[in-house]
Amino acid sequence: MKATRSGNLAANVVAFTRLLRHRGLPVGPREASDALRALSAVDLLDRREVYVALRTVLVDSRQHFDRFDEAFREFWGAEEEETRPESQPPDGMTPEETAEAEQVLRKWLEAESQNPEGDETQETPGYSPAEILTRKDFSALSSEELHAITTLVTQIARRVATRMSRRMRAVRRAHLLDMRRTVRHSLRRGGEIMELLRRRRRIQKTQVVLLCDVSGSMDLYSRFLVQFVFALQHAVSKVETFVFSTSLTRVTDALSDAELSRALDRVARTVPNWSGGTKIGHSLRQFLELYGRQLLGDRTVVIVISDGWDTGDVEALEAAMRELNRRSARVIWLNPLLGGVGYAPLCQGMRAALPHVDVFAPAHNLDSLRRLERHLALPR
Amino acid sequence: MHPEIARIQTMLGGEGYVADREIATAIYLSMSLRKPLLIEGAAGVGKTEVAKVMARALGADLIRLQCYEGLDATTALYEWNYQKQLLHIRLTEASDRTVEQREHEIFGEDFLLKRPLLEAITREAAPVLLVDEVDRSDSEFEAFLLEVLSDFQVTIPEIGTIRARTTPYVVLTSNRTRELGDALRRRCLYLWIEYPTFEKELQIVLGKAPGINADLAAQVAGFMQLVRQAKLEKTPGIAETIDWGAALMALHRDHLDRETIEETLGVLFKSQEDARVVRNQWLDLWLRGLERLRAESRPWSQALVERVAAEGALRR
Repeated sequence: MKATRSGNLAANVVAFTRLLRHRGLPVGPREASDALRALSAVDLLDRREVYVALRTVLVDSRQHFDRFDEAFREFWGAEEEETRPESQPPDGMTPEETAEAEQVLRKWLEAESQNPEGDETQETPGYSPAEILTRKDFSALSSEELHAITTLVTQIARRVATRMSRRMRAVRRAHLLDMRRTVRHSLRRGGEIMELLRRRRRIQKTQVVLLCDVSGSMDLYSRFLVQFVFALQHAVSKVETFVFSTSLTRVTDALSDAELSRALDRVARTVPNWSGGTKIGHSLRQFLELYGRQLLGDRTVVIVISDGWDTGDVEALEAAMRELNRRSARVIWLNPLLGGVGYAPLCQGMRAALPHVDVFAPAHNLDSLRRLERHLALPR
Repeated sequence: MHPEIARIQTMLGGEGYVADREIATAIYLSMSLRKPLLIEGAAGVGKTEVAKVMARALGADLIRLQCYEGLDATTALYEWNYQKQLLHIRLTEASDRTVEQREHEIFGEDFLLKRPLLEAITREAAPVLLVDEVDRSDSEFEAFLLEVLSDFQVTIPEIGTIRARTTPYVVLTSNRTRELGDALRRRCLYLWIEYPTFEKELQIVLGKAPGINADLAAQVAGFMQLVRQAKLEKTPGIAETIDWGAALMALHRDHLDRETIEETLGVLFKSQEDARVVRNQWLDLWLRGLERLRAESRPWSQALVERVAAEGALRR
């Protein structure tokens, strides 16, 4: 029975994996071949078993379970129907059609990235009625303040740059004895150990990601905070800086100018929607999709600087924060409003984000930034 | 159900591990496809147990590699026995062998200390290799692990390449404190273990606390379901349930009431903050939920417990 079916089964498994790939699951030929092997090892007439076997082989993370379930129902039929592995795959599964769909998708993505503002206003006309496309002038800066920030930030940055977990500190030693080289070396001296060779633990640099809110509600602070960001980027070698209001802009390169005023000028010219509305969730999602894989990891500290006033989708914000937290070593949220007397993080956006934040701290003046150092030193 | 899967389920049951179908199927596939099994799930759902029980059921040795931040390839793979090397150099001092010869001697297999990974691939009979809490290791180590798991061979510069005699059964566990790399994920079969259902947990309590009275066991299992609806710093897992059952028996309690629960709170909630929140915020609700459960006829079911939880606004 298995023999007569296997030809069909193979074709179906391939078509099914293609559907999964289409739905964004990382499934390749190797998984397809594993799936086939798995199916040959289980009872094909037992729907539940087929389901469990395919999921075990084809899905590699729980977050994809839902998408898998949906595709499974669609492809192999709903629960009530009898399992018919031979049944025709649903429409849209021929390679040509898949290719076509991919093209449409790509076009759509390109269109969106070319014209983000257009899409934003269409989607949510109420939120940012007039996304202010002004370019801010940053030339007026108090030099003492700037100097103070730079000194302080260098201190803070040094704390961030060394990894901060307690576990690390327990094992970290300046020098470790390298017995292997010591013994080998001693051979030349007839086995006498004349010197102990040591090896150094490689210092692992922390990747810092700064996500700075520059929307209208942050106006009072963003000028000040951008200086902080500028100083931080120059004090730590691995910093990537992004600003966002309704969408995300990478400003690492713009800020890399050694001259603060020139850097700020470049930033102002790079960012299209300074002082516009705020869609934190959307912006964070953008970050996750475009830069997440490259920048996030167990050595990444993410610092979000925002007042949490989100005019976008709160659920999107929560989901993005959850993912951000899961994929990085630590998430620090600096909220300038937190410095205010009697402030409680009641606005929806802040409330949604808070459970996924490791450190929640104020950032409204120099003193709060100085205290930030202490927060950074906390074990996760 | 495939007879092999049923057999594994029974086998695990015989070892005191209540395995549902997902778990049994994943173990079976991992064994028959000879692919590593990556198990994820919250702390305390019995991920590590899977490997232990698998080893016992297969009659294989269990080799465990506990991961931690800073774990490096040397610690996981091999080390030279330096004392023995030094001794050997001394002993051969008088001989007329050249330095090169003596160097060659001390970097032979006799002087090699096998660490878990090397141990696992050089066994005569395939062992079960448990790579525990792989999410706690660094990504460099993960890359190294991936290499070993792909080829089942390691290269020691002084000796050469050692190829696995038999492919070990590999189980990796992760608590998802960080996201594992896609490459490692794709190398493995995947199993997600949920917190147990009421029925499963009841079975576990009855199995792990022999002699417990059926009423108390059901109350414990039901109560745990209510507890897991709350958002706590650390949700108690199966291990806590089992400990709790044992504690209650040691105190000769035959039912749950406020006093009993308060006395034994420390078994379930292991942080000051959780204990405080439970006392102030949840305990009354849970006790009311338990009352409502008691009014229902036995046997209780997962659906019933969930309904009670929903009615009593017991969700976070």
